[in-house]
Order: sequence, then C-alpha cells, then structure tokens
Amino acid sequence: MTEKPLYAVAALFDSPSAIMHAAEETAKAGFTKYDVNTPYPVHGMDHAMRLRTSRMGYFAFAFGLFGTISAMLLMTWITLVDYPLVIGGKPFWSWPAFVPIAFEVTVLSAAVLSVLAMIVIYFKFPNVGHPLHDTAYMKAVSEDRFGIYVQAADPLFDEAKVRKHFASLGAVRIDPVYVTLPGVADRPRLFEKRFMGVLAATAIVTVAVTYFSLNKLLYMEPFNWMMDQNKLKPQKPSTFFRDGMGQRQPVPGTVARGFMPYPFKGKPDDAGKYLVNPLLPTKEVVDRGRTKFLTFCSPCHGNFGRGDSRLQGQFPSPPTLHSDKVRNWPDGSIYHVITEGQNVMPSYATQIPRDDRWAIIEYIRVLQRAQNPKESDLK
Amino acid sequence: MSTETVDYTQELPVVEESPKAHQIEAVVAAPLDEYPPRAWWIIFSVTVAMLLFGAYCVTITFYKGLGVWGINVPVAWGFDIVNFVFWVGIGHAGTLISAILFLLRQRWRVGIARFAEAMTIFAVICAGMFPLLHLGRPWLPLYLFPYPSQHGVWVNFTSPLLWDVFAVSTYLTVSFVFWYVGLIPDLATLRDRTANPLKKTIYAVFSLGWRHSNRHWQHYERTYLILAGFATPLVLSVHTIVSFDFAVSVMPGWHSTIFPPYFVAGAVFSGFAMVQNVLIFVRSAFKLKHVITLDHLEKMNKVMIVTGSMVGYAYAMEFFIAWYSGSQFEQFVTLNRALGPYAWAYWTMISCNALFPQLFWFRKVRRSIPVMFTIGVLVNLGMWLERFVIIVTSLHRDYLPSSWGMYIPTMYDIGILIGSFGLFFTLILIFIRVLPVISIAEVKALLEGAQPRHD
Amino acid sequence: MSTVTRDLGNPLRPMPQGVVRWGWILLLLGAVLSAVAYLLDARRAGYDSVILVLFLASLAAGAVFLVALEYISGAVWSVPMRRVSEFLASLAPVLPVAGILPLIHLQDVFPWATQGKAIADHVMQAKSPYLNTSFFVTRFALVCGIWILFFWLFTRNSRKQDTTREQRLTTINIRLSAVFLPVFAFAISATAIDWGMSLEPHWYSTIFGVYYFSGTVLAALAAVTLAVVLLLEGNYLPKLEGDHLYSLGALMFAFVNFWAYIAFSQFLLIWYANLPEETAWFITRWHNGWQAVSIILIVVHFAVPYFVLLPQEAKMDPKRLKFMAVWILFAHLLDLYWLVMPSFDQGVSLGWSELSVPLIVTGAAILVFSWNMGRHNIVPVGDPKLERALHFHL
Repeated sequence: MTEKPLYAVAALFDSPSAIMHAAEETAKAGFTKYDVNTPYPVHGMDHAMRLRTSRMGYFAFAFGLFGTISAMLLMTWITLVDYPLVIGGKPFWSWPAFVPIAFEVTVLSAAVLSVLAMIVIYFKFPNVGHPLHDTAYMKAVSEDRFGIYVQAADPLFDEAKVRKHFASLGAVRIDPVYVTLPGVADRPRLFEKRFMGVLAATAIVTVAVTYFSLNKLLYMEPFNWMMDQNKLKPQKPSTFFRDGMGQRQPVPGTVARGFMPYPFKGKPDDAGKYLVNPLLPTKEVVDRGRTKFLTFCSPCHGNFGRGDSRLQGQFPSPPTLHSDKVRNWPDGSIYHVITEGQNVMPSYATQIPRDDRWAIIEYIRVLQRAQNPKESDLK
Repeated sequence: MSTETVDYTQELPVVEESPKAHQIEAVVAAPLDEYPPRAWWIIFSVTVAMLLFGAYCVTITFYKGLGVWGINVPVAWGFDIVNFVFWVGIGHAGTLISAILFLLRQRWRVGIARFAEAMTIFAVICAGMFPLLHLGRPWLPLYLFPYPSQHGVWVNFTSPLLWDVFAVSTYLTVSFVFWYVGLIPDLATLRDRTANPLKKTIYAVFSLGWRHSNRHWQHYERTYLILAGFATPLVLSVHTIVSFDFAVSVMPGWHSTIFPPYFVAGAVFSGFAMVQNVLIFVRSAFKLKHVITLDHLEKMNKVMIVTGSMVGYAYAMEFFIAWYSGSQFEQFVTLNRALGPYAWAYWTMISCNALFPQLFWFRKVRRSIPVMFTIGVLVNLGMWLERFVIIVTSLHRDYLPSSWGMYIPTMYDIGILIGSFGLFFTLILIFIRVLPVISIAEVKALLEGAQPRHD
Repeated sequence: MSTVTRDLGNPLRPMPQGVVRWGWILLLLGAVLSAVAYLLDARRAGYDSVILVLFLASLAAGAVFLVALEYISGAVWSVPMRRVSEFLASLAPVLPVAGILPLIHLQDVFPWATQGKAIADHVMQAKSPYLNTSFFVTRFALVCGIWILFFWLFTRNSRKQDTTREQRLTTINIRLSAVFLPVFAFAISATAIDWGMSLEPHWYSTIFGVYYFSGTVLAALAAVTLAVVLLLEGNYLPKLEGDHLYSLGALMFAFVNFWAYIAFSQFLLIWYANLPEETAWFITRWHNGWQAVSIILIVVHFAVPYFVLLPQEAKMDPKRLKFMAVWILFAHLLDLYWLVMPSFDQGVSLGWSELSVPLIVTGAAILVFSWNMGRHNIVPVGDPKLERALHFHL
C-alpha cells in the first residue's frame, strides 16, 4: 500500500507579473492555506497575498533592550556590589566606561536572538522533511520559476477546482504534491531520531573535550599554570650541589633579619663586664621575671632559686642561686649563663627572648635579697 | 569607447549583458562543481606554506614566550597590535558593503556583498588571533570574559582592552550570522541543483529546509534589514573601540579625540583596497566580469577616495591641533614622526594614503585595472604603516627621554604577519570553491524583468 | 520606460503673502531684540551673535553640502527636492551680514582678542599666530566667500539646466562637488574652531570640527525636511511618495546617531584620560545648573529623536517628520547654546536675548525662500534624473 496523502496542488508560472496576479486571485478566491514560492523576493507580493507586516522589528527591539539591561545590570552589580575596585581614581560605577560593552551586548543579543527567533519561531526550521522538498516544483522554483500552491488542508480545497483555478491564471505547469514523511509537514518534531543523535554526539564530544582540557591538558606543559617549575623549592633535591641537597646553609656570618648576634659568645668575663641590664626593677618587670623564672628556671633551680627542685640529689645537682658567687656576679654574667648555658645547663637563648632574660635577672635579684636580707630591709 | 558621456536619464544596469536567472546560477555555481584548476592549487600551496610558517612562529612563541618577539620596554606593543588593528580594519569593508550600502539602497552591492562579507569574517578571524597570541598565557583566554570564577575576581570593565574583547567577538558573531542568513536561500538553490548525494545532504542541512516561501521571504527580508541596521553601528563601534585602546591613554600622539572617526574611515579605506584587489582576480578567474563590473570597481574606488580624504583630513587636523595645543610633547611626537628614526615609515604612509589615492579623482585611473590594483596595494601598505607609525612612534619616544628606545621586529614577528596573510588567503581560496561567491538570489532579483512592472 | 512627464504643477508659484509677512516680522523682531540686547549687555549680545553665526553657518553650509552630496553620490531620490536645499543655501550671503556684529566686538567675546589679557597668558600668546583679530576676520571672510561662491556656482548651473536641459551641466556640478567637499571640510572645521573652540583658548579637541559638522548636516537635513513637508502640504511640490520621505527620515535618524557617537567619543576620551586642561571644558558644563542642560541635551538631541524615528513607518510619515524636523532644529540650537554660553557665564543664563537667534534665523529662512520662490522653479525641471526620481521606489 503506497497510497500517499495529497498535501497540495502546485502550479508554476514563468513571469513575476503572472505570479503576482495569481497570488492576488488566489487570495481573493478565499484560500488561506496557500503559499507562493519565488527564487527571490518579488516586490509587492506581501501586499498581493494580504500578509500582515512582519513583527520581527518588535522582537529585535525587545532582544536588544534585554541585552542592554542585562549588560548594565551585570556590570553595575560587579562594580558596585560584588567586588568594588578603585581603578584609575574613577568612581565605582563608571557608566561612561560601560557604554561600549553595553552597546556591543545589545547588538549581539538583538542580532543573534532575532535570527534564532526567525528561524525557529517563524520558519519552524530546521525542517528538511517538508513535502515540497525534492519535487520538480521545488527545483524549478529554486532556479527561475515562480510557484504557488494550495494545501489540501484548506477548507475550500477541491482538487479539480484548484487545478482549474490555476489553469485559468496561465500556469505553465500544474502538479500534485504528496506527503512523503507523514506528520512532518508543518510541525517540527523535536525528538526526531537524527536530531537527537546529533545532540547526543555533540554532548559526548563536549564532555570529552572538557574532560581532556581540564584534567589532562592543564597538567601538561606549558598549560599547567607553571605548577612544575625548574626552580628550587624548599626540601627539593638538586643534582647541582655535591651533597644533593637543594637547600643550602647560609654563608657563615649570615645574620637573620632584625637580629643582632650575641657579641660575647664564649666570653663570660666580657659579658659580665660590658653587659648592662636595660630594665628597671619595676613591678611589671619583676612580675614578668617571676612568670618566666617559674616557667623556665624553677624546674632545675627550684621555685625560690634554692636549687631544691625534684632534680636535687641527682648528679649533678642544680646549684642554688643564692651562693655568694652568684650574688656577687654582675647581671651580665647571669645573662651570659642563660644565653650560652654552663656545664650541664643548656642555652636558653632560643626559648627566652632577650628582654625576658633581663626580667628574670631582676627577679633573681629580688629572690636573692629576700633570702639574705639586710637589717635595713626589715624596716 | 574613449570619451564616454554618461546619460543621467538612464539607470545603469547592475548586471551587464542581460543574463537570465539560470545563467547567473550556472556561472556562479560552476566553481563549486568543478575540480580546482592548477592555478588554484599553485596559489593554494603558496598560501598554505605562508600559513604553516606562521604556525611555526606561533608555536615557538607559545613555547618560549613573548621574548622571541621584538617588543620591549618602552615599545611594549609592536607587530602584534599593528596586525590586529590592520586586520580588523580590513574586515570593515565587508560589513560596509553588505550592510551600509544595503541601507543606502545601493543596488550595485549585490555582486560583491557575499564575497566582502566572507572576507570580513576571515579578516576578523586573523585579527582575533593577535590579542590571544600576545597574552602571556594564551591558553587561558577565558580569563578575558566575565564569568563567576573561584578567584572571585572579575574582568576590568573600564579597560578598552576588554571592550575590544566584546567588540571583536560580537563583530565576528554578528558578521557570521549576517553572512549565513544571506547564504540560506543560495544553499537551498544549490541543494536543488546538485546531483551529488553527499553535497545534497550538506546543503540540505545547512539551508535548514528553506523552501523559498514568500511567507518566509517576508520575515527574512525584514530580519535582513534589521541585521543591516544593527551591523552598521556595530562596524562603526568596533573600530571606534579599537581606537579607544590608544585614545583613552595620555600618550602624546595617541590621546586625540578624533581617533574614533579617523580609525573607522581608515578601516573602510584599507578594507575597500583589499576587497578591490581580491575581486579583480575573482571576477576574471570565474568569468564574472558582467556581474562584478568595471562600474562597481569604479564605485569602490570612489569610496576609497572619500575615506582616504577623511584620513587625510584627520592627519591635517592632528597636525594643526598639535601646534595649537601648545603641548611640547604633542609637538615633539609630530616632529619625531616626520623626522625621527621611523621617518621612512611616516613618509611612505603619507604618500600611500594621502597622495597616490588622489589619482582616483581621474576617471581614467578609476577605470584602469592595473592602476587601481597598484593603488590598492599601496593603500594596504600605507594603512599597515599608519598603524605601525601610530603605535611605535608614540611608544618609542614619549615623555621621558631616559626611557626612549627602539623597536626592531624579529623573524617571529614577521613570520606571524606572513602567516596571517596566509591564513586569510587560504580561507578565501577554500571559500571560493565551496560556497557561491555571489549572492545568487539577490542578483536574480535585480535582473531585467525580475520584478513585476510598476504601473 | 514611461516618457510621460508627471504633472509638476506650477513650479514658479510664489510664497503666500501672509507667510512672507511673518518672515519679516520674525526677522525684524529678532533684529530689534538683538539690538536692544547689545545696548543693555554688549558681552551677552556678543555671545548670542556667536550662536547666531554658528547656526546660520550650519544651515547655509549644510544646505550647500547636501546639494554637493547629491551630485557626487549620484542619488536619484533627492532630485525633486534639491531645489529646496538650493533655496536654503541662499542663506549663505546672509552669513557675512550676521557676522558683522560679532566681528566688530571680538574682544567682548573671545578672551584672546582682548589685547592686554593675551600677552599675560603665555598659552594664548603661543596661539596668537592663529588666534588674532585680523587672521580671524580673514578666515571668516574666506569661509563665507567659499560658501557663497559654491552656492552661486551650483545654483547657477542647476537653474541653467532648467531651460537648456543640458546633461553636461550635471557633469560640471559633479566635478564642482568633488572640489567643494574637501574645501568644505576645512571651511566647516575652521568655523567650528574659530567660533566655538577658541572661546576657551586653553582647551582643544581634534574632533571638534567633526562634532560641529555632524550638527550642521543634521540641522540642514531637518530644515530641508521641514521645508519639503510644508511645501508638499501646500502642493508646491509634485506628489512624492513615502519612499522619498523615507530617505530623509532615514538620513535624519542616521545623523542623530552620528552626532551622539561623536559627542560621546569626545566625552569618553576626555573623561577617561582625566587631564585637567581637557576636562575643564566638561566640568564647566556639569556645574552651576549646566548639568541639567547637559542632560536635557542628551535627551532632546539623541534619546527622543532616536526612539521617535526608529520605526520604519515613522521615517515615512510626513506629520512625524515635520515634528521631528522642528524638534531637531531646536535641539541643534540647544547644542550650540550649550557649546557657547558656558564661556559667557559659569551659571546657566537663559534670557530673552537668546530668543533673537531662532527669530532671526526663521525669519531669514522664510525670506530667502520667498525671494527664491516665484523667481526660480521649485523643482529642477531640467534635471535628467527627474523622471526616474519621480518614479522612485525603494
């Protein structure tokens, strides 16, 4: 059964005046589901077919306005709300600078969206399955003939009548047109197999390219954001140096920033002679000294400097700080011992900042005075 | 025909020799069905060779960095930006022919519009490469667009370099859309002509199913008018925004309010020269001399003299105001251009842009193919040099003499320029064998007897 | 091709007496206002006369420009209306008369013309080879001479063609246009720089000539459109279709956009670079009441004409075109006022003396039209393109 439904009856004419006349007469005869096909737009045909003026202009205006407003809103939000930056001393909302971009977005939006609206809404394209495609009629119209057809779906359609109507108008050729793909004639089918196939293929390709770009390409030189540079980083090995280490010791004599080296290294006598306690024995200083003493010194020397900590009795015992030796030492000597250590006592230079050491010394003096008060102190 | 007197009562026919519609179709569609001749292959191999050399230079640039170029401090912009502005300028002729001449109802545009639009797209592609190439990290071009990123930062909307991004990408997109919309009826015609099933499928897909229905023509024509109406201010705005790259600065020689119209006029000037040059070959190679007539070429030369005069006006105005302003920096830049180390470029530019095109005042010159071709080449050279003079002379000696320097392009700079020409001409060569160079439908509409009589 | 000539009516119909009378009334009223203003405040009257010169030059030179443009572009649609442009160009001989008043009292208006002041200011001193009284007057005389000369040459050939119908005269006029246009470019720039830019001798802008040019063409187009529509309504011109008027409307729309583009370019570049010597000009126009005028200018000169003339039907509708033509002429006057007056006074001052400008111009325009109508054909009956033009369709 190859009975194909009739779609329309189509007629060909060979002059623009003839097709104009045919269009006028067809419109006058009351047909509504008809159309004219010409290889180029014929002037005055819209009027002959009694077509309403195209409303594309309104679409374009609306899309353009949408573009302008979107661009201005985006730029305003970014520069006023999200991340205001002072650039060139200009105000945050520099509207003159926004004009060029707003203009471009307007044009882009109007042009692209209007064309899309035209293609999708007005033309209902893409539609390669229309009954007129691949007919002799279409081939003639594409070249240099002018055609008109009336659809079978028109309420006034009657095949014989329409044929006679066209013949009376001087048609060069009259053909019936059949529906080749049922249901495809006027409405585009969104879920058409090939279209979905192309959509799926596009999606797969897009995913693949994105995956490759973000997960592979961006880790390759030179796209990898300079992740892997040839420079030395801390703790990286290096074949350049004999010891294989990238990190080098500082040159002897290197001094850390903001730091003065201790001038009396290994010279306890000079330390005692030249160092002077810069702090005064105020309450704050002594309190601070007490705190630090209890933290650092008391574990060995005892809470009151008597050498009576829990280490007492083990060899060697921590000495008392109230011996004559210590009491007669200048402050600088005590400072030297804290800084360099002495015998078993390690250096506390890294643990106790310099000012704190002097504070501790003030407190030791207080303790010493407390342990060996003079007559005058009791008053 | 030595002394031709024009008869103003008659309208000049747009197409000569009164062909019929099917003859137009046959002659325009012929190159698409035939295997390219040897001449095409020879030229194609030359342009591809240029393109490959350019690609090699680009690869080295990506691999080693921008240091392989001649740019330095103070001349931080060299061939890269000169070429960018040059190619964007070339593109303007296409849109002007397509859109502006359409709005002005100049029917002689139909023979050249399709080709000119294609040239616009190819020129903008060439142009668009340069801002990407001159980035420090060209693989991160998406940083140029405002998208919400993890960094939380956005692009700088007040920078003309960003306006360029929007302008050039909009220009490319809209030009492409405009060109494509114009192609739809022709693709449908080709679909109905061809017997080759593969070609038929391709044409059918890309023509979207166009049926030449008048109900569609109605909206099509209105949309085409709207696109032309938008494309016109667009093309003016694009080169204006390119001129803003320079004019918004405080550099002497750059900060001049006349830059926007001056650049636009210069762009149209150079674009028309390029279109004229290429069309001279196309019309004889494809036997289209009766569709792309000598009258059309003459009109293009007239456009060139108008725009060339506008450029000359801008030169004169800048010269006068440099004196009038009393700014020693402006005055120095003006003198340095004419007398300094780049004076050779300046004087070549003046002769090519302001002097030689004046020959087009003479009708004999306007209608002589070899002479107009030569002038076209000179104009292209002059306009490239104009961008070179503007960019390099203002940068190499600005306010502080201790910062003065020189710019010497390297092999890679020149190679990329050659490559861009290679790309441009390769694309044109491919275009002319794959798509109809003339808008078949538009020409058919203008033939004698094509429209019903107005009684 | 039809060889029947359309009925052109009587191309020599004179203007009705009533209208001519109005022309005299307006002109005399404007002249009286101007004279009184001069007696009361010579400086202000001087500034008003600068606006008058710029406005008249716009109309006169712009009209000659439109005639030349038609010839050089080979346009067909404008041929039936070319005589209207030619009549408007008769304002060219009026221009030197309008210039007499300001030329005698340059020092009231131009800072560089004041002898003592100029020497003290070293910037003006440096410009004095250009900005000095004698060279200024010479330039004005030269420019007026150019416009009068070309006006006379174009119209003489055009009128001769009415009787002899020689096509050669069209060719001559085309060649004349080719010479005129570059000369016009420099003449209009000189007018703008001399009368507009030198009011602020410390300021400069390379685009100023183009800015004035855009306003000039727009004003001339508007004046011609207005005249054409009025003449059509009075049946002086043959019946022209919507398609003819469409081109006038489209050109007005295009030049409204062009003016806005030039104005905005100038503003954006100066705003962006933020150099005090350049921004001073705009800052003056953004304080003391001038900011309101600036905003009104944008609305009146760009926004309203843009949206009114945007739809295709609007460009063909005689009523809307007439309204927009008057509107645009007023907008151009506002533009010139905004250019010139801030140099007179920091604050906005709009008084009765400014009214003299539109009165004088309207009166003079009516009178030059009345002088031409009845003496010369209002349609170029001998033009070879006339037949095609009358049948013109888009």
